[in-house]
This record gives sequence, C-alpha cells and structure tokens, in this order.
Amino acid sequence: MKRTSILLLIILSIMFVLPATDLSGEDVMWNVYNRDSGDTMGANLIMTITNARGSVRERSIAQYRQDLDGVESKLMFFLSPSDVRNTSFLSFSYEDGRNDDQYIYLPALKRVKRIASDSKNDSFMGSDFTYDDMGSRHPDLDRHTVLRTETVSGLPTLVIESIAQGAEDYPRTLSWVVDGQWFGLKKEFYLPDGSLGKTLTIDAFDEIDGIAVITDMTMSNHKQNTSTRIQMQDVEFNLEFESNFFSERQMKIGPRR
Amino acid sequence: MHFFIELAKRPITIMLLLTAITIAFVLSIAQNADLETNLDEYMPKTHPAFVASDEAQDLFGITDAILFVVEHPSSIYNQQTLEKIDAITVALTEEFDAFSSVTSLTTADNIKSSDGFLEVKPFYTGNTSDIAIATMQSEVEANSMIYGRNVSKDGTATLIIAELKDDADSKALQEELKTWIGQWEGPERILMAGRPVVEGSLAELGPKDMAIMFPLVIITMIIILFLLLRSVRDTVLNMVIVLFGTILSFGLMTVLGVPIYAVDTMIPVMLIAIGVAYGIHMHNTIHHLMEEQPNITKETLAAQSLKLMIRPIIMTALTTAIGFVALMSSQVLPVRYFGLFAAIGVLGEMVLALLLFPASIHLLGKPTYHARKQTLGKRTSSDHLKSMVLQHPGSIALVSVVVLVFGIWGTSKVWIDTSFLANFEEDSSIVQIDHLVNEKFGGTSNLNIILTSDQVDHFKDPEVLKTMEALQQELESNVMVGNTLSLSTFIKQMNQVMLEYEEGSHSIPDSQELVSQYLLLYEFSGDPESLTQVVDYEYTSANITVQLKSDSSALLKQIIAVVDTYRPSFEQMGIRLGYAGSGYKAFIFSELLLEGQIISLVISFGIIVLLLTLLFRNLRIGLVGTVPIAITAVVNFAVMGFLGIPLSSATALITSIAIGIGVDYAIHFLEHYTNARLAGANLEEATTQTLVHTGRAIIFNAIAVMGGFAILLFSVFPPNRQVGALIVLNMATSALGTLTILVVAVHHLDRKQVFLPKHIRQTK
Repeated sequence: MKRTSILLLIILSIMFVLPATDLSGEDVMWNVYNRDSGDTMGANLIMTITNARGSVRERSIAQYRQDLDGVESKLMFFLSPSDVRNTSFLSFSYEDGRNDDQYIYLPALKRVKRIASDSKNDSFMGSDFTYDDMGSRHPDLDRHTVLRTETVSGLPTLVIESIAQGAEDYPRTLSWVVDGQWFGLKKEFYLPDGSLGKTLTIDAFDEIDGIAVITDMTMSNHKQNTSTRIQMQDVEFNLEFESNFFSERQMKIGPRR
Repeated sequence: MHFFIELAKRPITIMLLLTAITIAFVLSIAQNADLETNLDEYMPKTHPAFVASDEAQDLFGITDAILFVVEHPSSIYNQQTLEKIDAITVALTEEFDAFSSVTSLTTADNIKSSDGFLEVKPFYTGNTSDIAIATMQSEVEANSMIYGRNVSKDGTATLIIAELKDDADSKALQEELKTWIGQWEGPERILMAGRPVVEGSLAELGPKDMAIMFPLVIITMIIILFLLLRSVRDTVLNMVIVLFGTILSFGLMTVLGVPIYAVDTMIPVMLIAIGVAYGIHMHNTIHHLMEEQPNITKETLAAQSLKLMIRPIIMTALTTAIGFVALMSSQVLPVRYFGLFAAIGVLGEMVLALLLFPASIHLLGKPTYHARKQTLGKRTSSDHLKSMVLQHPGSIALVSVVVLVFGIWGTSKVWIDTSFLANFEEDSSIVQIDHLVNEKFGGTSNLNIILTSDQVDHFKDPEVLKTMEALQQELESNVMVGNTLSLSTFIKQMNQVMLEYEEGSHSIPDSQELVSQYLLLYEFSGDPESLTQVVDYEYTSANITVQLKSDSSALLKQIIAVVDTYRPSFEQMGIRLGYAGSGYKAFIFSELLLEGQIISLVISFGIIVLLLTLLFRNLRIGLVGTVPIAITAVVNFAVMGFLGIPLSSATALITSIAIGIGVDYAIHFLEHYTNARLAGANLEEATTQTLVHTGRAIIFNAIAVMGGFAILLFSVFPPNRQVGALIVLNMATSALGTLTILVVAVHHLDRKQVFLPKHIRQTK
C-alpha cells in the first residue's frame, strides 16, 4: 500500500513537474494548425490602429470566411469610416502553397482590381498584423520546441519556440499555446538581432458553437511604438453562402447575403 | 591710476603673473577647445519659427540627408552597377548607426496597373538578367515619383539617400564616409552631396584656412610694426598685448565650458585689429615725451606716459567693449558669446597696454628710438594733411556727404545670403558635385511648406488637394525648383495608376470618397511609411516638400513670396500655412542675424554718443565723435552692397570693428585736441599738434592692421578673403574719416565757441 502510494506520488510529480505533455513542438503546432475553426464564419471586426504619436484610426469591417476544398476564401467589407464604406476585399488562399489571389473593389471608382501579393509579411490593411498573423502559418515552415509550461490567465499553456527555416522578418517566435484547446494566448516575435520586435496578446476569447474564438487581441510593435487592436463581434459559424458569394459580383453588391 | 603706476614698478611680478595665466589658459585651450560644427547649435531654439519648424520636422520625419550620387559613364542600367547600388544601400544601413533610413533605386517600390491588375513591387527584384533590367528601366521611366527625382533622366546617375539621425555626429561620420565610399568606385563615380556635407566642409574649411592664414597675418604685422615703430621692444610688447587678449578670450571660454563656434574665429581678428592701437598709442606718447624732454628719468617717463594715456585708452577700450557687449542683444547664442568674450579680450588688452609699456621702462630703461628722419618726414606729411584739411573744409564736408549718400544707396543693396555653397570656389569639387546633383535630380536644398487644419480628414478634400496642386505647379514653373512632393502628388499618381493611364488621369479626382479609398488602398498595398512624410495620421496636417537647385536664402525668399500668395486661399478653407526644414531655419537665422546686427549697431551708436557726451561734457562732441564711425559703417555696407558680398555671420561682425576702431580714433583725437587747447594752444596749433601726435599713431595703427589683414586676401577660402578686404577697408575709412571730416567738424565747433566747456572758455 505504502509502496503504491509512493509510486503514485512519483508518477504524479513527474506528470506535473515536467512538461505535462509528451507531445513534441511539431505535434503542438500541428494541433494548433488543425484546430477546428469552423468551415464558415462571419464576424464584425473592429480594428483600432494607434500610431507612435498616440493618434488612433478606427475601422469596422464585416468579414466572411469559408474553407472549402483546400481553398480559404475571405470577403471583407468596410463598414466605417463612412468615406470608405463598402470598399471590399476578397482573397483566396491555397493550401497547396500557391500565392494568394486578392481583389479590391473601390465603390467610388466602381472598379475591381486584382492585387499582386507575393509576401505574407505584408501588413494586413495597414495594421501591425501581417497576413501571416491573421491566418494560420503552416507548421512545416518552422522548427518547434516545447520550452516549458506556464500558467497564463489561469490556463495551462505550453511555451513553444519556433525557429524559421527560411528568411523571415522575425526568425524566432515564442507562442503560449493553451494545452488541450490548441489556441495561442500570447506570442512574442523576435528580430534577427535577438531583440523583441512585437508582441501579440489575447485579452478575451469565447466559445461559440463549440469553437474557441479569440474576440480581442492586440499586436504591439515595440520598435515602431505602434499597436493594433482587433475586436470580433457577432461571430457566427456554419453559415450558408451562395455558391457565388466569394466573387467580384458580391464585392460590388455589398455585405448582404 | 596709482594701481597701474605701482604695479608697473614690479615688472618681474607682471611677467610671472602673465606667464602663469598664459600657460594656464593655453593648457585649457589645448585640452578643451573643440569647434562646434553643428549649425543647429547656432539657432535660437525658442524662436516661434524654429519651434514650429522643429515640430513639423518631427511630425513628418523631415531630416537632413547625405546624398550619394552613383554615376556611371554611360548608363546605370547594367548588372554590375545595380548590384553595387544595392550593396551600398545595404552596407550603409548595416554598417552605420547614424542613418535613420537609407533609400535608393533598389529599395523603392513601384505601383503599376494594367488589365485590372494592380501591382506594388520593388523596381529591383534582384534579377539582373538583361530582360529584367530593361523592364526595370521602362518602369522607372514611367514613374514620375522616381524618374528625374532619384534617377537622372539620362539614366547615368542615381541617388542613394541616407537620412541622418538627429544625434548623429556628422563631422566624424563624414570623415569616415569619405574614405569608405572609395571602395565602391570604378567604373562608377560615387560622390557625396547634400546640406550636411556642405555645412560640414564649411565648418571645417573656414577655421582650417584661418589657422594657416593667421600666423602669416601675425608675421606680416610684426614686420610692418617693426618698420613703423623702429623698436624691437615696442613691437614685441604690441604682439604680447594682442596675443594675450586672444588667449584670454579663448582661455576663459574653455575654462567656463562655453562652446567655440565658427564665428569665434573672428575674435582674434578683432582683438588684433583693435589691440594694436593701444600699444601704438602708448609707444607714440613715450616717443613724444622723450622727444620733448630728452633728459627725462625712467620713473617720470613711465608715470607720465601712463598719466597721459590712461584716460583715452580706458575710454577707447570701454567704448569698444560696449560695442561688443551690445551684440549680446542678439537672439543668436554664438553671437552673444562672441560679444561677451571679445569685450573681455579688449579689456585684457587695455590692462596690458597700460601695464607693459611702463613696466618695460622700469625693467629695461628708457627705449632708444632710431631714425629721427622718419619722424620729421611724418611731421611734414602731417603738415600737408593739416593744410589740406583746414584749407578745404567745404570740399571735405561735401565729399563726406557724397560718400554718405552713395553709401546709403549701396547699403540698400546689401543682401543677406546664407548660401553655404557660395562660400566655396566655383571650381571646387563641392560646388561641382552640387551642380551635378542639381542638374540631374530635383535639387540639393529643400523647403517644407506645412499646412495645418483643425478639421480631421481635411486633407482628403479634393478642393484642398487641388489648391496644393496649383501651388506646386506654380512653384515648379520656376527653373530653380526641381520638383515638389505632397499628398496631392501621391493621389495624382494613384489616380493615374488606378485609371490605367487614361488621358487626363494624372489629376486629383473630384470625389473625397475616392481620395479616401485610394489612401486606404495605399495603406494596404503600398508602403504606408511614405505617406507619413506628406500627411499626418488624422489628415489634419500636410507637408509639401519643395526641392530647390540652390541653397541661397535669396531664392528661398522668392519662393516663400510665391507660396504666401496662396495664404488667403488656404485660410479661407481654414488652413494655416507655415514653413519648416533646415534651409528655412537658416533663412530665418540670417534674418535674425541682420536684425540683431542693426539693433546692436543702433545701441552702440546711442551708447557711444552718450559716453562721449559725458566724457567731454558736450553733446555736440558726442555727436561729432560718431561721424567717422557712421561713415565707416556706411562705407562698409556700401562696399558689401556694390561688390555683392553677402551679409553673413562673419561679415556682419566686421561692422563691429568699424565701430570699435572708429570710436577709438575719435576719442584719441578729441582727447589730444582738448588737452592741447586747455594747455593754451590756439586752434591752429592744437590741430597741428594733434595731427602730428595722434595722427601719427592713427596712421601707424591703420597701416599695421591693414598690412596684416591684407594677407587674408590671398586665402583660398572666399569668406576669409571677404573678411580681409572689409577689415582693410574699414581701417582705411576710419583713419581717413577721423583725420579729415572729424578735424573739419571739430574746427567748425571750436570756431563757433561751442567746443570747449563754458567754464574753461570763460577762464581763458
């Protein structure tokens, strides 16, 4: 009896002291990548960009997403400020690694333009987020290591160090991934010189239709002293889109389904 | 006075004391003297124009940049040159901390649109195949934001623009860069240009040239002094006085931790021109005393000479010092320091002149002067002068009036110019490079027009943008304006691209929504950083950058006059107009300099009239005494006006010499004349005596200083040549004015019985 309890104690202590998982860094990041984020989604985004002088630009955007047959389609409409209302943005991301296709529609010009995109590191809508930050980065692009466990906001997290395989603006990142739920609570981006370039913090998340949704996040760029906050409202999953919803035609019609 | 007489009896003590002070100051100078070359340090930082400019510079990231010209004998569009441009750009960014950003053809983005496909990508992709380079060339030539601005239209040259951080040590950096660019040469030429380069060379060249020229000035002066005074002892004493004055000034500055500015290279110039007079007058009096009383004892000689000269020398030194102290009314800090320490130097010279001559008599006995003949010769020439002056008072007065009238006319032609480039020879490499940059690109100098509104998004308003465009077009019609850049330039470019180069699409659209949408698109796909240099985050403030092909402040004035005609249109829309940039600050600085110079001139005049009036107890003498100064100052400005010598910090200060020296001459003359009259001489005798005595000293003084500074006319540095020419001129006019018009005026007053104080006249 005594012997078993000691053994149990040892087993328990090993479980709690060492990383509580025997998953590798790669496993964790694949879990994150494959986490259920719904095949379709609709939400309103409020984007608040603050520049180094403390001036603020606020934009609200209606966003629709659909994952179908290895293609992620996104359609966004600006709701405010009023002078850019109904300006829309359509993108197709391909799982097979092809470059994204992106389109912009300017209602005052009444023309749709295809935009070339060759870098995932481009700023997302002039914010501190890149397109990469907004989507999910393919795990094979980095080498991942579990560094330690940490409790963040009362949740057990695994701290993953990711080292980029190719040349990146931020070759090293640290991610705090919630154990078991596989979404990040915090991410630090390090510059080639080893200094901290920017930090992503998650301030609120919610569970909607069984899917964990980040509803408030802020990216702070420490070098430029700027930050961008994105809040998500009216999040819906399992939407029914018309077959030609993610199209130039819809861009001109506006955010009506 | 007793203090001086008693102290003069201890020559050894004086020598020891002097040596000790000199050693202490020389050590301090050797250790701490470092020339302040950052021109921003000159600027009065709290002046509203500077505050506004600094704010705008901060808001829009307006900084001075070093321009690197990469010039290829035939064309830069080849693999080797493009790779070199890219390598230099990268190396400048990585190897130098002093730059906040480095941009070039290889970092610039192109935005283009065809067949509904909008593309923002770098001109240079790293692909250097013949086809890629040919495509790049055609893209550059189609984009007016870069073609003719950063890449020359003939395709032989391009600019790498390295913006300096505020705290960059420009001097050390440029030294390093000069050798650094050598490794990239061939077959391309790599040249450095831009305001920091010109300023840096100027701040370095002026004092460097002075350091070469100055010993020559001193040696020449020693030779002339020796020839005039015929005494090794008095020549040595004179040089000790003037050099000590200089050491005292600079020594105190370094001890007190006051930075030394380029303007301060004028301090020794001033102190020599002024200090020599004290020594010559002392020498002259001793000479005369010995001539009149050949058997005088050395004690009496020492005491007598001091007694005679203590009043005029203290008076002359005080008035000169006051002239310098008046410079402290200037808003320009270095000018204030200059005034203060030049005044201290003058007072030091005064004390030394009063001490050293009597002390030398105590130590070495009575001096022996040779060459009586020469004195006799002088006497006859002063007789000539006297008869000439006294027989033609009308003509002299008439000539003086004519000179004054011409002078005032010429003065009106004096123009202020802080063109840094004008300080270099036309064939110097710095001027040649500047010409090259101005010919191939937009220009080396910038003016920033700052528009401010209280209304958010005001600069998205097409009406505002169109007014900006109209202003830019009018400015660009001036051949000296290379190009202009503003938010409206971006919008026009964007409109043209989005409408796929339709006819008339290079224009501002009529819809504010479209402008807003273009800007949003630009933020998405372009380089939002480049927008921050033309507009602020809330679109309440905009910056129009005007590139100029000359750094002359006269051109700037002309451009500002054009811009100001748009002020009412902008104000109607609720938009305020202002200016910013280092070129603008230099312009305001030059205006302040002139203003300060005029104020200090007026103050000096007032104080001198007051002092002379008090000293001679007669307002008329006070007024008459300033006549030679007025003539000297006016002639000085007139010659500057006629010869096109611009008023700069150095040339402006030379008018202070005109005042300092002019008033000294007048005091010596009036003092001696009054003393002669009081001793019972009649009008004629007093004039003769004064001309023989004081006239000789004045002429010796003028010849020695003129001869010395004439050497500066051979300087390789144009501003130093101007300094030399103006000093020679001022010494000549001061001496001539004193010995002609002052004599005539004094005579006139004396005849009218208003010269001597009443109680003296009555007792006679």
